[in-house]
Amino acid sequence: MFTTLNLAALLTATLATLGLVVSIFVGSRNLGNFDPALIAYLFGCIFACFGVVYRYIVWLQRPPTWRYFVRGWQLFFSGKAIVYGWELTKHFVVNFLGQRFIRNRGKALGYGHFLMAWGCMLAFAVTFPLVFGWIHFGLKPGGIDTYEIYTFGFKTAEFPLHTWIATLIFNALNWSAILVIAGVMLLMRRRLTHAGQIAIQTFENDWLPLLLLLAISVTGIGISLDYKLMEGRAHQFMAITHAITVILFLIWMPFGKFFHIIQRPAQLGIAIYRKAGAEGPQAVCPHTGEEFLPGMQVDDLKTVTAQLGCDFTRKDGKSHLDYSPRGKRALLARAHLKARAESGRYFG
Amino acid sequence: MATLPVSPESIIAQFGPSLNFPKPEGIPGRDEPDAVVKTHCCFCGMQCGIKLLVKNNHIVGFEPWEEFPFNEGRLCPKGVQRYLQNDHPDRLLTPIVRVAGKGFEKTGWDPAMERIVSEIQRIQSEHGNDAFAMLSGVSLTNEKSYLVGKFARVALKTKNLDYNGRLCMVSAGAGNKKAFGLDRGSNNYSDLAHAEVIMICGTNVSETFPTLTHWIWQARDNGGQLIVVDPRLTPIARTADLHLPVRPGRDSALYGAILHQLIKHDWLDRDFIANHTTDFDKACEAVADYDLDWAERITGIEKAKILRAAEMWGPARTSFLLHARGIEHHSKGVENVLACINLVLATGRIGKPYCGYATITGQGNGQGGREHGHKCDQLPGNRDIENPEHRKYISQVWGIEEKDMPGKGLTAYELMEAIHRGEIKGLLSICFNPLVSLPNNSMIREALEKLEFYVAIDFFLNETARHADIVLPGSLHEEEDGTVTTAEGRVTRIRKAIDPPGDARTDTSILLELANRLGAGKHFSYETSEDIFNELRVASKGGTADYFGITYQKIEDNMGVFWPCPSEDHPGTPRLWEDRKFKTPDGRAHFHGVAYRDPGEVTDADYPVILTTGRVVSQYLSGTQTRRIGKLVQQYPEPLLEIHPKLAARLGIRDRETVRVSTRRGCAEFPAQLVETIREDTVFIPYHWPGKKSANQLTSGHLDPISKIPEFKVCACKLEPTGKLAPSPEVSQAWASV
Amino acid sequence: MGLRMNAFRTDQEFFLDPQRCIGCHACEMACAECETNGQLPMIHVDYVDRYFTPQTSVQICMHCEDPVCAKVCPAVAIEKDEYGIVHTAKTDRCIACSNCVNACPFGVPRKIQPMDLMVKCNMCYDRTSAGKKPMCATVCPSGALFYGTREEMTRKRPNSSPVNSFKFGKQTVKTRVNIMMPKGATELVVDDSE
Repeated sequence: MFTTLNLAALLTATLATLGLVVSIFVGSRNLGNFDPALIAYLFGCIFACFGVVYRYIVWLQRPPTWRYFVRGWQLFFSGKAIVYGWELTKHFVVNFLGQRFIRNRGKALGYGHFLMAWGCMLAFAVTFPLVFGWIHFGLKPGGIDTYEIYTFGFKTAEFPLHTWIATLIFNALNWSAILVIAGVMLLMRRRLTHAGQIAIQTFENDWLPLLLLLAISVTGIGISLDYKLMEGRAHQFMAITHAITVILFLIWMPFGKFFHIIQRPAQLGIAIYRKAGAEGPQAVCPHTGEEFLPGMQVDDLKTVTAQLGCDFTRKDGKSHLDYSPRGKRALLARAHLKARAESGRYFG
Repeated sequence: MATLPVSPESIIAQFGPSLNFPKPEGIPGRDEPDAVVKTHCCFCGMQCGIKLLVKNNHIVGFEPWEEFPFNEGRLCPKGVQRYLQNDHPDRLLTPIVRVAGKGFEKTGWDPAMERIVSEIQRIQSEHGNDAFAMLSGVSLTNEKSYLVGKFARVALKTKNLDYNGRLCMVSAGAGNKKAFGLDRGSNNYSDLAHAEVIMICGTNVSETFPTLTHWIWQARDNGGQLIVVDPRLTPIARTADLHLPVRPGRDSALYGAILHQLIKHDWLDRDFIANHTTDFDKACEAVADYDLDWAERITGIEKAKILRAAEMWGPARTSFLLHARGIEHHSKGVENVLACINLVLATGRIGKPYCGYATITGQGNGQGGREHGHKCDQLPGNRDIENPEHRKYISQVWGIEEKDMPGKGLTAYELMEAIHRGEIKGLLSICFNPLVSLPNNSMIREALEKLEFYVAIDFFLNETARHADIVLPGSLHEEEDGTVTTAEGRVTRIRKAIDPPGDARTDTSILLELANRLGAGKHFSYETSEDIFNELRVASKGGTADYFGITYQKIEDNMGVFWPCPSEDHPGTPRLWEDRKFKTPDGRAHFHGVAYRDPGEVTDADYPVILTTGRVVSQYLSGTQTRRIGKLVQQYPEPLLEIHPKLAARLGIRDRETVRVSTRRGCAEFPAQLVETIREDTVFIPYHWPGKKSANQLTSGHLDPISKIPEFKVCACKLEPTGKLAPSPEVSQAWASV
Repeated sequence: MGLRMNAFRTDQEFFLDPQRCIGCHACEMACAECETNGQLPMIHVDYVDRYFTPQTSVQICMHCEDPVCAKVCPAVAIEKDEYGIVHTAKTDRCIACSNCVNACPFGVPRKIQPMDLMVKCNMCYDRTSAGKKPMCATVCPSGALFYGTREEMTRKRPNSSPVNSFKFGKQTVKTRVNIMMPKGATELVVDDSE
């Protein structure tokens, strides 16, 4: 991924990072609202931004990815925005917010991932604006029982202290940590008990991400519990380990498993590609005589495989890719039968 | 009364068949089982070795048993899925009793047993001992087969005991006894590996005995040639060197014609014929006129192909002839078998390495089960119930007076006819589902409805048992210790893996308690299955099927022992006849003159098409077990009528169209499957399904005069297109058809 | 914590011989039993054309040297490991576009739409990585699927040659899995246009 420098990715990532820095300056009113205690997190975020964008751009340049990327936007702006918009909304609600496809892969996985993902999402929503100084809180002048929320320096809301709303808001990160811990527990249990998972799991891809999220969440809650129960005696430890784990998470984001969080929205593009494909003409397999794939996708695949240096053109001018998977298997079995028959022996 | 207590639909709703699927998230405990039990598949006569994984008294999966010499880990789909008959929602867990208008209600063992015993005693005192019959099956182990034979004769005191082997390989058994004086495949299958020619007669090995395929392919890898005789181009026939698509019911004409060619070209082993056989002249005489033109006319096979078969078979140095139900399920099943044996004897290729002959026994314990006495005319050790010496020996082993030993009873189909005539009033059945597996099953249904009292022992409520007054929950294959004898004649160990669930009991304990309550307890004092086996060893001693030298430990140590094994220091006999001492009275192998005659029913203007029946790979016999396993059902969900496109075109039948098939026994509807792989004058329907989807509504009750096997493989039918395309199998639910 | 084992027998190979296949589906049933597959079979057994013949095709993943499925994957979800095993899609990355399903010249990957996931044969990684044979090759009753050493295969089938080069149209594909061909053959040409 990073072995050779990719100019487009480098430029885009630099621009994006600069953009982020500028927006931090602007959003925090020239760092006026910036909390210096969060400086380490800030650098983590800036690095993550560069890394993620760099990798995203490298990824987009792969021929199949680029093909889908271009097709996705073409379709989106093809004048059927309403149809595709509705398709996207459905897909977004069911499979993004609801994560139904993950539940379909397995119940424990589905519920565990749902809790963990929503915990993370909530934490991101709180942490990034706070770290960037885009949001800050303050006591409403002239009283001691109302708190105000400022976004980009503008007051956006206020709420009374010592109420359940306040508890809810001040502990937002604790709630997210509880969700993450519950989810991680479910997923770890699955990894410890499901023979199929045990057989193929790896430490780096499967355990490390869970352990990291668990460490972040436990130390995060630890900071609060330390205040409440231990009068802050372990603050130093909790704060430092929390910072270290979060920064590790941020730095690892562009390289490891967590990159899928950035990558996943591509699924939305596939949803409209599929919708468009279903509405267009379908490719018919010359062997089975049945429709098997949208013609558009067969054509795209031919283009992409050609770009990748593969040529499946047959002697009759058709492509091997014109055949459905079942047709391809039948072709091979027949070719093998022919070869065996011509040799005069089926066995030996 | 043995009519159904409520509608079949409501019985099905409660007792199935319903489909058991494994859970996608896996079965807990499979990765860390408590025990890995080496046993065998419960299905066909190959008895493939398999390891069952056990956790907390449940079977949680399987693992291939690669060390077992016959199959070396290989399995067919039924073997892979067999563990799913465990923890099945349909499993009978308590005795149930018929309550008219309500269905079956749970009852206790005591009241069930008391009622059974009092009904048996009532019927026998009113109508005589033989008015109460017993039907059994050869999915049972040797121990249970032996026990059933003894139970019927000593505890029930009835002569009317027969078994479902009657629908299996009795023709082969009878033929083998006539020709060799002994009923066992002459070789183990490793002799296939270097045979120059293998002739497979009427056996769709690829679907009925998939794991045997390996040995045949091995022979072909070694340069061997394959001849397949089958009206259909089956997967095993597809790549065969020669496929002879014989017209159903004309098999003996083909083998007669081949013998004619062997004689004509002198492809004979004259030394062997002269020194070790008798009656070759009779065999020659019978086929004297069977030239190629005649054979082509009768069998429907091009004469060039028949000649080619003779050319391949005749001069070969080594060969192996295999046959199965395709030639045996005929009103002249024994003649077909003898005609095949004639080809083997004429070339003298038997009793030598890579020279062999065998019937491929179909049922799990089809071999062992037919040796130890639950056949109507037989006593343990394959003894004859009408032979005074045999009667005397077994009576002494059993501790009874010879005069109390019943004589020969009726065979399975005849027994149902006797029930139909009202001569037999009561029935005890175990491991047999005649309503699906016997031919002409509307007669069977009427017979069942006439029974005064019917008790069934089974683990699932099969279609026949729905007619029972009481059903006792018995045990699965993996719930009891024992032995089975494979189609090769190898005695192997079935190991108990788990206890029967709920209040279900082992079949053995059920029979022992019944015997005890019938007052015969002193003859049935066994503690373990091994005790029964040890008595069987003694009972078989000196018989043709001699197990005396086989012990559980010896089986364990050698992964099976081939009988005959007359003494404990005897290694067993994988290959018969190496000593050329045949078991006939004169010590010679016997040729038989086999004159061709037509099958019991031939086509005519009213019924112009030949109907033949058979199996599919994913189902086993009457489907009591396999129609309850989800993926096996999905693989082939409903019986299809295989028909050649040319015949279909003549009759205006389209692919997937529902076709009404009628015979003189009844009619039924099946979706058509147009294939060029069947003879143009023949249609095929597989038989595993019940009710309206049962092929045996159509088949005929013509029996072989010697073996009394029904003629499943040929009858005359009429086909009418209905004009409607068949609904999807999910709609028809053939696996639970009423 | 159970992590995957490293007992892969590099001396053993997969040998496929479709003409031995009797279409019994034992492999498919056994494949689905594997805990990693969640009751989905990864192997394919189909009639080639039942109207004419009982011939069946049997297809496992051939584990290409340069897998097209991985090349056409927009999400970089398919990877080949150090043993040459092309693994099933990474669950976190796969977006179920089905490019791999249709680009694979052998027709191997399957898309499971409700899961938004592609699945494919990984040569029973749970078994092979522990030094065992793949399940399909262990149960196959006809030797259409065989797993063992090259020497074993040469001894058992002296008149056949293992071939791992295929030609689909103009495209040559080299694979880790072998197909048994008449002796001396070096390539299987899959192009019935004449």
